[in-house]
Amino acid sequence: MRAFQAELSKLLSLPGIWLAVLIGAVAPAFIAALDSTAQKEDIIAGISTRLSEVGYIGLAVGVQGVIILGVLAVSSEYVTESSESGGGQQITTSLTAVSSRLQLLLAKAGAVTVISLLLCMVAILTTVSTTQLILGEYAPAFAWSKLTGAVCYWIFTALLAFGITVLTKNGVIPLTVLIMNSSVVSFSFLLSKVTTLAFYLPDRAGTDMFMIMSDRIHTPFTGGLIMFSWVAVLLIIAAMVFHRRDVAA
Amino acid sequence: MRITPGRKITNILGAELNKLVTLPSIWLTISGTFILNLALAAAFTSIGQQGAAGSQSILDIGLATMGYLQAGFILLGILAACSEYTGGQIRSTLTVMPWRGLQLSAKLAALATITVTAALIIAASGVLYTLFMMRDTAAGAGIEIDTMLKALAGATGYLTLTALLSAAIGSLLRRTTPALVILLGYYFVISPVSGDALPGYFPDKAGSYMYMLSSADKSDVLTPMQGTGIVMLWTLLCITAAIVLYRKRDA
Repeated sequence: MRAFQAELSKLLSLPGIWLAVLIGAVAPAFIAALDSTAQKEDIIAGISTRLSEVGYIGLAVGVQGVIILGVLAVSSEYVTESSESGGGQQITTSLTAVSSRLQLLLAKAGAVTVISLLLCMVAILTTVSTTQLILGEYAPAFAWSKLTGAVCYWIFTALLAFGITVLTKNGVIPLTVLIMNSSVVSFSFLLSKVTTLAFYLPDRAGTDMFMIMSDRIHTPFTGGLIMFSWVAVLLIIAAMVFHRRDVAA
Repeated sequence: MRITPGRKITNILGAELNKLVTLPSIWLTISGTFILNLALAAAFTSIGQQGAAGSQSILDIGLATMGYLQAGFILLGILAACSEYTGGQIRSTLTVMPWRGLQLSAKLAALATITVTAALIIAASGVLYTLFMMRDTAAGAGIEIDTMLKALAGATGYLTLTALLSAAIGSLLRRTTPALVILLGYYFVISPVSGDALPGYFPDKAGSYMYMLSSADKSDVLTPMQGTGIVMLWTLLCITAAIVLYRKRDA
């Protein structure tokens, strides 16, 4: 429990965390506002084809906030200090304080999960209220099952980013790949046009939890299950690698 | 020993080029971008082959990867600028070369020489792959060398300017992660999501006219030269801001 509190405190005192909070909490509402304004006339006229997606599109983009969170949580441990301050890495200090590597990893993953959960709650609140404010009575009803799906999607994505960064130790590559992949030009969307296997990739399966796409093939529950198994497998691999790896390597 | 001004500039340029060339992450980024670009070109080609024949030209398919490709060059620019600030290398740099404006300009010039070559090879490889795979289809029949060269030159110019812009932003922010998040967030999230809400003279939209030659059927499009001018203006603006701040700021 003390390890968990320590991880939480470390995570919340990172400078980059504010960028994550800003993107995670504010950007979804902003994008939902843009999208709702653009579609307002169509929706009022009753001809909008994307009524069910309004608002959720913001949540699909705001997930970048938790990607940053998951990546930074690990990569900040491995940043080498400048030679003037000893050239050390924070990870050596962390492992001196919490010598069980599994415990450290669990505490860290727990801290990432809790903050992602809170961030997603805030994002949902701001997004729903923005949509209500702009669309008024025409706003789509936000179903609890879909909002829960969005929360799961955020947490799983944060843990995926976390697991990948444990493997790479450097934040730049996971950050680039994951941010691009959660954008409009995502790799998995491209691949899903080439092969149907791509629908089993974590982000494509995960979005089925809360977005109704025209070409989806999973129910929300199986989508969540697929994404969860990706997360579980990745975290097990990450734990094994982290357990066996020399800290200095 | 007196050194002539011309000699000084050559020395600084050589030093900056040497620093960039010996940075492992630069080579990793370039080779990673190259491989990824070929894989994406293969994916786009296979989609193009499934689709109705002749609906898209080979150039469009070959350059469809540009949207992804720019991420590699954004990363390249940021790495070049921010590597100075990890571990205090900037102090050694400024001890040896105390002329800050000259030093940063030389760094950007050195970056540009590397990016032009890399961008040309990477963009050409994507187009050539598509050309090779699709030369037998209807779309492959009407390809002109002139148009292809123009589009490739535009793509190279756009990628180089994007890298320079990112390097300028990187040296303004001095930290890799925030610079990366801000630039990727703009190029991949804010700009595509906001769609037509943003006017067309932002760097990525104006820049797309530099290589998307065949999309000239709308009324509000820019010519390739106009696009180039606008992106150049943005880049110069950012570079000027970076140099001014770099000269004033405590390193």
